[in-house]
Amino acid sequence: MGIFNRSTKGHVTPPIEVTIERGPLAFFSETIGETDPIYLNPETAQAAGHPDILAPATYAAVVGTFADQIARRKGQPDILELINGDLRVLLHGTEAYTYHGPMFAGDVVTVENEMTDFTDAKGGKLEIAHVTTCITHPTRGLLVEATRSIIHRLG
Amino acid sequence: MTVTPTTAQVGDKLPELTFGPISRTTLALYAGASGDHNPIHIDLDFAKNAGMDDVFAHGMLSMAQLGRLATNWAGQDRMRALSTRFTAITPVGATLTCTGQVVDRHEEHGRVLLTIKLAAHIDDGTQTLRGEAKICGTP
Repeated sequence: MGIFNRSTKGHVTPPIEVTIERGPLAFFSETIGETDPIYLNPETAQAAGHPDILAPATYAAVVGTFADQIARRKGQPDILELINGDLRVLLHGTEAYTYHGPMFAGDVVTVENEMTDFTDAKGGKLEIAHVTTCITHPTRGLLVEATRSIIHRLG
Repeated sequence: MTVTPTTAQVGDKLPELTFGPISRTTLALYAGASGDHNPIHIDLDFAKNAGMDDVFAHGMLSMAQLGRLATNWAGQDRMRALSTRFTAITPVGATLTCTGQVVDRHEEHGRVLLTIKLAAHIDDGTQTLRGEAKICGTP
């Protein structure tokens, strides 16, 4: 038997607003080793025609995590609590982004998660939760759609 | 001649990217920067209690390198999609070698779309991630 709370299949989390702050965004880019100043220096980004520094390709995951933190502060469950994820046996299976537009420092975006499915693999040794996250900007529309599979190693 | 998204053909390779060695400091910083505070990556006591010999790197830290490989080559504005499967754990101390190769180029709705096969390997040759980027190749 699995650990995930499969009754959450189809559940959509309430929209959470996340402000993409310049300092944390630049800190992330530095940490992953990014050296292109378009991700680090607002002057370079603005000279290139952007409103502020650009978010790197995997920042959608960070925005999703920040939305989780904000949900917890509001007294709402985060994704792992919702699906009953167990960190001791949890692995990240897959992560995928479809890009519709860039994210910049200063953007205030809305994050919504849907628990799309639960599946089993390797004869029940693995159970997999599938989650889709949409990041939307109030005027520029959908920016990134992210899908993720989270695995429990069972037995 | 340097391969660019507008000139790339099937079989062309993107410039390689290496990252590491991945220290415990890197993992601590990545935990803070990404908001992923899962202790399995930063707390040896927790990792041992969970049956692991040591902490291991966040998969997303490696995916970030595949993202850098793609965007350093093409620019963020040409990125249409990025996906990865995490195929093995990345241990502390590992250095990643990230590679990309054009595996498809076709026109879709009047636009050129490239498919790039991506992979990350660690020092002993183990593949830790495999993935794919969709990149616009329209001039």
